[in-house]
Amino acid sequence: MSRPSDALRRFLFTPQSTTWLAVLRIGLGLQVLFYAISLRGDWVGLLAREDQGLIRRDLMEAVLSSESPLIPRIGWIVDAGARLDLSENTVLWSLWGAIILASLLLVLGMFCRAASVVAWILYVCTAKSAELLSYGVDNFTIIGLFYLVIAPLPDAWSIDARWRGRLLRSASLQGLHRRALQLHICIIYFFCGFAKCAGPDWWNGTSLWRSLNRAPSDIIPPDLLIRLGFLLPLVGILVCLMEITYSVLIWPRRTRLIWFLGVLGLHVGIGLTMGMYLFAWIMIVLNMAAFGPDFALRLPHQIALSIEPGIQKLAERSIG
Amino acid sequence: MRQTELPAARLAFFAVHFLFVLLISFADVFSVFSKSSTFFPATLNPFWDRAAEIALVPLGQTLPVRNPIHETVSAYLNISGIEAGYSYFAPNIPDNYKIVFELHYPDGRTELELPTVKSHAAGLRLGALLDEIAELEYEPLRAMMVKMLAYSVWQEHPEASRIRAVLGYVDLPTPTEFNLGHKDSYHVLFAYDFDFGPTQQPFTPDP
Repeated sequence: MSRPSDALRRFLFTPQSTTWLAVLRIGLGLQVLFYAISLRGDWVGLLAREDQGLIRRDLMEAVLSSESPLIPRIGWIVDAGARLDLSENTVLWSLWGAIILASLLLVLGMFCRAASVVAWILYVCTAKSAELLSYGVDNFTIIGLFYLVIAPLPDAWSIDARWRGRLLRSASLQGLHRRALQLHICIIYFFCGFAKCAGPDWWNGTSLWRSLNRAPSDIIPPDLLIRLGFLLPLVGILVCLMEITYSVLIWPRRTRLIWFLGVLGLHVGIGLTMGMYLFAWIMIVLNMAAFGPDFALRLPHQIALSIEPGIQKLAERSIG
Repeated sequence: MRQTELPAARLAFFAVHFLFVLLISFADVFSVFSKSSTFFPATLNPFWDRAAEIALVPLGQTLPVRNPIHETVSAYLNISGIEAGYSYFAPNIPDNYKIVFELHYPDGRTELELPTVKSHAAGLRLGALLDEIAELEYEPLRAMMVKMLAYSVWQEHPEASRIRAVLGYVDLPTPTEFNLGHKDSYHVLFAYDFDFGPTQQPFTPDP
């Protein structure tokens, strides 16, 4: 492989502490936990093959198979359970329990690698087997879990590192993986903003009005919303500009904190005004892991490392 | 790992991964442009369509569905969460779809019912499902999905003998129209009638 230029190498391998990874691990653990708890009442209804819910799982999995038969799905696990004489309901609730357990282990940082793989596979299975009932939150959660699975685990704040003596990976490898997440986030916002800017409705406030009045996200009464009507075009334009410029202005030191806080504010707003709490949370977690707070606050690498537990020194030795 | 060593395999992996992310993102945004009202002239729509198709070529997504490359790349895109682009709520907010069930009883009574879920989180997913159903182009699949929803409602009201499912969209007034007193209006897109008798067997999808 030909060597990349020094500038590119410095960009890709900037040494990083493992704090970003701890944020990603704990944030995703909570996300998966909230996901499972929030769907507890509808769990079987959403995933059952038999006539217990809205759409039968076998139809959704047939649609999935038309895309690729290799995509993981609940049906594989239910079939395996059937060989052990386990009913579908038993398997589905066992899956729910396994998701809860994996998410708790992630939050604690215990058996990080195994917990992340289990959480990722089970989340993919449930999201894909109910793909017709899926929306953006599932994609972003899977993206986050995927980066967590391939990340250089464990982080210095995990039980694995602090109590079980698992060694940390090098700071430059942490840098590469964090860079990948940062670049992906930039791509997401760029295309999100680019697509919004292409139509008139985000510039004149119509899209913002419609998104806040669209069931089931119509939390704010329209009578109240219309009193703030003069703000709709302004906020709509701000959303467009913030998203399309995020991929550029999150990097310069002068603007990164403003854009970082701005985009966090945007997602807090989405959560509170549209009731999309899980969506808001996953976006905040991905942003916090990718760009904050050590990055947004411009903490020098040495300071970022020094606030980690002493075990980080092990990793420092291996940087060379 | 020493800093002087480059993890070549990881770099190659990320290079391919980000190529996939970019191709999917471009394909998605071009596809949205071809179908939505944008600042671009409508005469460009065939161009956007073609561009979206070209962006999918390196991903093997234009190959036959049963092609191993297509299947493998599709599986990778799905397990890494990158099979869809990021044009959420863009360039415009899509219509708000709603399904209403008219329950007809043997004694002549009629009731209106909506599909119900137990949590707000599931409610968001139900909204996504209605969007999918309304925008499906394959009519038999749409009819089957509506029948499943109707069956779930019938299970709650087994004494109903017939259910009419009406799928439509809610036309939201603009802020100006709202100020003038205009309210939401409901427009019917599709209607289906299903007979469920007392001897109804558990629902089985048609082959």
